[in-house]
Amino acid sequence: MSWMHIFFALVLLPAIGVGMIRILRGPTAADRMMTAQLFGTCGVAILLLLSAGMGNPVLLDIALVFSLLAALATMTFIRRTWRGSGKKKHEYPLQ
Amino acid sequence: MNILYNSGTVLIILGLPFFLSGTVGLIRFPDIYTRLHALTKADNVGLGCIVCGLALQSGSWAVTAKLLLIWLLVLIASSASCHLIARSAMHKNIQPWTRS
Amino acid sequence: MSYSILTCFDILLILTLLWLGWRLLSTEDIFKAVVLFISFGLLMALAWVRMRAPDVALAEAALGAGLTGPLFLAALRRMKRIHKGERRLDSDENRGEDHEADPEQTQAA
Repeated sequence: MSWMHIFFALVLLPAIGVGMIRILRGPTAADRMMTAQLFGTCGVAILLLLSAGMGNPVLLDIALVFSLLAALATMTFIRRTWRGSGKKKHEYPLQ
Repeated sequence: MNILYNSGTVLIILGLPFFLSGTVGLIRFPDIYTRLHALTKADNVGLGCIVCGLALQSGSWAVTAKLLLIWLLVLIASSASCHLIARSAMHKNIQPWTRS
Repeated sequence: MSYSILTCFDILLILTLLWLGWRLLSTEDIFKAVVLFISFGLLMALAWVRMRAPDVALAEAALGAGLTGPLFLAALRRMKRIHKGERRLDSDENRGEDHEADPEQTQAA
């Protein structure tokens, strides 16, 4: 166990906690989804630091899954939720 | 070995302010485009610094390759979703913020 | 030294999780609740890691970020359509029935 890496992870955790304000306050839906993306990136960084700090290389695999699936929620949001319901304003394909 | 470890520590410390500034930008910036700018760029640079620092400290090629793969995946995911969000915001006629 | 910092990390993580869960349950906007749920899943994976259960954390990351979040978002779109009017719902249901009827016919044949 190295306390230094765990301390760095502890520094990164408030970055997640403060970002939650934007979920609660965000004017558009995309702002809220962007915050989820911030959580993904910060979560990967915290997992990498914890993996070095706790001496457990298995956590790298969890970070790999996190980064692999990070874009999935955002893309579903853009394609399914945020686009207007059925009205097509532009001709060139959005997806 | 010790030089590698210490330079890795310096790189990790260098990466932390990028994350914090990304969060501050997400809270403070006035517009969806500026928020996207702060979020994706600053966070990915911070993650890159941390990944490079940890790779210097790890001392094994397999762990280094896995770390770089994680960073590459995060880069692809975040740039793709940033582009998607910005383009559909333009389609929804959300005007960029101007100082006025 | 290391253990006291770990304890600080755990306490901060637990407080964040509790606040997140409370906001998630008390909010009235459904979309906000869905985004809060996705964030809750990510933080819960970190909590599983701290409880020394990396396998559960792996499952939580894959299910919470990859499966449940997109499913909720797709369901939200479907709910908005249903709220919008009966005609839309009818056409959707017809299309769904046609879609489901196809494999049965091919199986019967």
